Amino acid sequence: MKIGKRLLIGSLVVSMLLVLLPLGSAMAAKESVTIGLQGPITGPWAYEGEMAEHSCRIAATLINEKGGILGGRMIELVVADDSGTPKDGVLAAQRLVAQGVAAAVATYGSSICRPSSDIYEKGKMINIGYGVTFVGLTQRGLNYFFRTCGRDDTQGVFFAKYTTETLGKKRIAIMHDNTTFAKGVAEETKKALQEKIKAGKAEIVYYDAITPGEKDYTPSLTKLRDANPDVWYFTGYYPEGGLLIRQARNLGIDCLFVGSNAVINEDFIKIAGLDVAEGCLMTQEPMPETLPFPESKEFLKAYREKYGTIPTSPWPVYGADALNVIAYAIDKTGSTNPDALADFLRHGLKKSPMPGVTGPVSFTEQGDRVGVPYQMYVVDEEGKIVLYEPGK
Amino acid sequence: MKKNIVIFIIVAVALCIFPFVASTYLVDVVFFFGIYTLLGLSLNIILGEVGLFDLGHAAFYAVGAYTTAILNTRLGIPIFVLLPISGIAAAAFAWLVCSPIIHLRGDYLCIVTIGMGEIVRIALLNDPGGLTGGPNGVFGIERPILGGPLVIESSIAFYFLIWIIVGLSIFALVRLQNSRIGRAWNCIREDEVAAEATGIDVRSLKLLCFILGAGLAGIAGNVYASKMMCVSPESFTFMDSCMYFCIVLLGGSGSIPGTIIGAGAISLFPEIFRSLAKYRMLFFGVAMVAMMYFRPGGLWPRKRGGLGSK
Amino acid sequence: MLTFVQQLINGLTIGSFYALIALGYSLVYGIMKLINFAHGDLFALGCYVGYTLLVWVSASLTSLFGIWGCLAVGMIVAAIGVGGAGILMERVAYRPIYPAGRLPAVVSALGVSIFLENFIMVVWGPRYLAYHSSFIPAGYWQIGSFRITVLQVVILVLSFILMGVLYYIIEKTTFGAAIRAAAFDRDTAKLMGIDINKIIFFVFSVGPALGGATGVMVGMYYRQISFTMGWVYGLRAFTATIMGGIGNIPGAMIGGIILGILEMLGAGYISAAWKDVFVFVVLIAVLIFRPTGLIGEKKAEKV
Repeated sequence: MKIGKRLLIGSLVVSMLLVLLPLGSAMAAKESVTIGLQGPITGPWAYEGEMAEHSCRIAATLINEKGGILGGRMIELVVADDSGTPKDGVLAAQRLVAQGVAAAVATYGSSICRPSSDIYEKGKMINIGYGVTFVGLTQRGLNYFFRTCGRDDTQGVFFAKYTTETLGKKRIAIMHDNTTFAKGVAEETKKALQEKIKAGKAEIVYYDAITPGEKDYTPSLTKLRDANPDVWYFTGYYPEGGLLIRQARNLGIDCLFVGSNAVINEDFIKIAGLDVAEGCLMTQEPMPETLPFPESKEFLKAYREKYGTIPTSPWPVYGADALNVIAYAIDKTGSTNPDALADFLRHGLKKSPMPGVTGPVSFTEQGDRVGVPYQMYVVDEEGKIVLYEPGK
Repeated sequence: MKKNIVIFIIVAVALCIFPFVASTYLVDVVFFFGIYTLLGLSLNIILGEVGLFDLGHAAFYAVGAYTTAILNTRLGIPIFVLLPISGIAAAAFAWLVCSPIIHLRGDYLCIVTIGMGEIVRIALLNDPGGLTGGPNGVFGIERPILGGPLVIESSIAFYFLIWIIVGLSIFALVRLQNSRIGRAWNCIREDEVAAEATGIDVRSLKLLCFILGAGLAGIAGNVYASKMMCVSPESFTFMDSCMYFCIVLLGGSGSIPGTIIGAGAISLFPEIFRSLAKYRMLFFGVAMVAMMYFRPGGLWPRKRGGLGSK
Repeated sequence: MLTFVQQLINGLTIGSFYALIALGYSLVYGIMKLINFAHGDLFALGCYVGYTLLVWVSASLTSLFGIWGCLAVGMIVAAIGVGGAGILMERVAYRPIYPAGRLPAVVSALGVSIFLENFIMVVWGPRYLAYHSSFIPAGYWQIGSFRITVLQVVILVLSFILMGVLYYIIEKTTFGAAIRAAAFDRDTAKLMGIDINKIIFFVFSVGPALGGATGVMVGMYYRQISFTMGWVYGLRAFTATIMGGIGNIPGAMIGGIILGILEMLGAGYISAAWKDVFVFVVLIAVLIFRPTGLIGEKKAEKV
């Protein structure tokens, strides 16, 4: 019996390894061009992963409907789940490299992106981040890493300038949620405000983090109220944002509320209630629905047709554009050679950027997205998010 | 005994050949299998040998990983030198934190270890004094340098590194199991009061198992840090502590081969069933329940000998 | 001073949520000596059942019952649904494992927890679900510089009623005595002729049912739910149970309320980012000085 048990377990182990082996062998794409998507399909950010997957599928479908690339080859999406953890990110990246996809759209979450992009770099695979705003990511001298989203510092600088100059506010409260994105933006905002603070034009009266996933923020808000700010900048995400603003108004906090680009969307308005959400501002890159480009409208229309709604956070559309620019680069260079693609993305796009869902797409030498201008948006009385015109 | 050695040799040979025939992805999967094994073994000392509920084990792992990360990026201390240092740091942390609470019984100890795990995680997240880098963590960690041009860089090199460490640990742990300390531990596990009555210094031995378990976890943290080249708080959550707990129990608490198999199950299962996409974790949960139904003693239970053994 | 009162009120509200969930937790824990990790996820299931009922069947319900009626109906349906899920869970995942001992039961509970959390994610999707404002009763009283909403008052009253009812059942009735006996020593209780199966049925239906009803209240109070809620609340419930003392059912209630207040005070006066650390440090301090919890176990340690 003892021998039998050990044989059983031994064969179990061996068979598990045997099952894994074929999964690891490189799969050559015959007709279609495979593009990988790494994202948090399961785990705490599953909703981001789901929207990213949906966005990329729509992007791929739109390209395929127009005849594909490289003379009729279809785009096929290969999804690798990284569960929002760094270790699974490494494994997911390894899998995509082993599967020999043409390039990867990867990933969401700066702390997951960092080790993953190292894997792609070693495996000589183009990887374009869509939800990774940590400034340091493009300062490592990597050749194959790019990102279609903006960076924390751009948003922070914009807020600092706009709030003090255009809005003339002095007492500023900054609140984040300790995620890499929110804290990054908060830190950069604080940095950007230093100049104004030295000149006596601004003052940071509150700087703290709330815990995401919680429901009751009244303690933090009571503290915020006591600090008596003129304007309150929350750099986190919409679930917390909606709760915060509603609870804040209940507590009698009347100051202006500004959210980062992850805060204000349809769900924010639902959670907060239109009466409270109206008049809230947001620092945002130009939003697809406000962009004049036909690409954005086309994308949103197709997305809404298939899924009944549009993405509720800024990152999925960056994912779509990452896929778009990969396909575009492959088509224009006529190959999937990573060095040729890297060169095209870096230099070829500069002269004529690709028209993407989020606007014209091109990259700097370091791999950052060129020209992500920020603007101030506001929620109007009908619950629409429109460009803000101060003084109206 | 002879059969054990034969099996051991076969497995060792297979492990040596494997990385050269498999893809880098698979080598990495088995690398993490190794890390989980080391963590499982470290928790096994606490949970399996002495029977103490430790649901905050990720804290020790984190202390080791962050010690390596911070000392390497700030002071430039080489990784190999930091291997024992991280172990000692984690062990010292365990000693410091567990001394006041080691007398707590069963479930109370459990909640305190959970609390400790959470405190460590939140402290890492809040970046006190700018040390830990907050949610972004610490990055720019180097690779271990053996001397001169010999750097542990590739997936295969890390694979061998972790499995050599695991091998050495197993050797040490087997010796420990059969030593006076090991027997005293098992005595405490079976009946704490009787152990005390026979002159065993229960408090010191309980503390010792935490120290050793933490030290081993700290070493695992060092290897993990230099493999990933960055560490962040997301890798050390309560869920991770629960997973290590499951590794020991699924394999068979107190059983070293069981822990290895448990680690294999926990690390390989999600990879094997990736094709199930978001239903993967559903099956994982069901599998855990089924495992406990069919094999509650674990996949390879510990044979506890002696008089009156069950 | 007013800030303190505001924090206290909010702490009470959130504390009563914890207390209700901890109650269910403690019931199972006391009787079965099982750390039911899945309890938090049952609570989350209650949130979702309540949401589904209220949002998808909303129009007809509101006209029939009015907003408060909706809350009541939601709670009842969630209580029944989740209570049923609790019984099912016990039959399928726990009963077969009992003979194997405590530790396998813990692993099984973890497995159920993972299953439930992902089940919710698969069925309802990973996105945060938000209640539309029209379902939520508005209205508040402004006293000085703090507010107390009508919903808060209703929730507090409801919670205390539920706690009171359960306290009465457990402390004052014969059946309650049977439950306490079974928690004290299950085998002897069986010998005394107590029908353990009935007790198990009660514990695994009422505990989760309480959690389910609380889920509806929490959903309405915060207006949004996500599938990851279960984990956090489950951990808080466990903490509250321990704080009060294992197997001590009223202790769990008090533990929950204290936990809520501690959290609010910690967040308000120390820092929101460190509040959980504060709570755990207090817990550890409590356990160092009173190793069997604040109220203590009613159990002598047998030597």
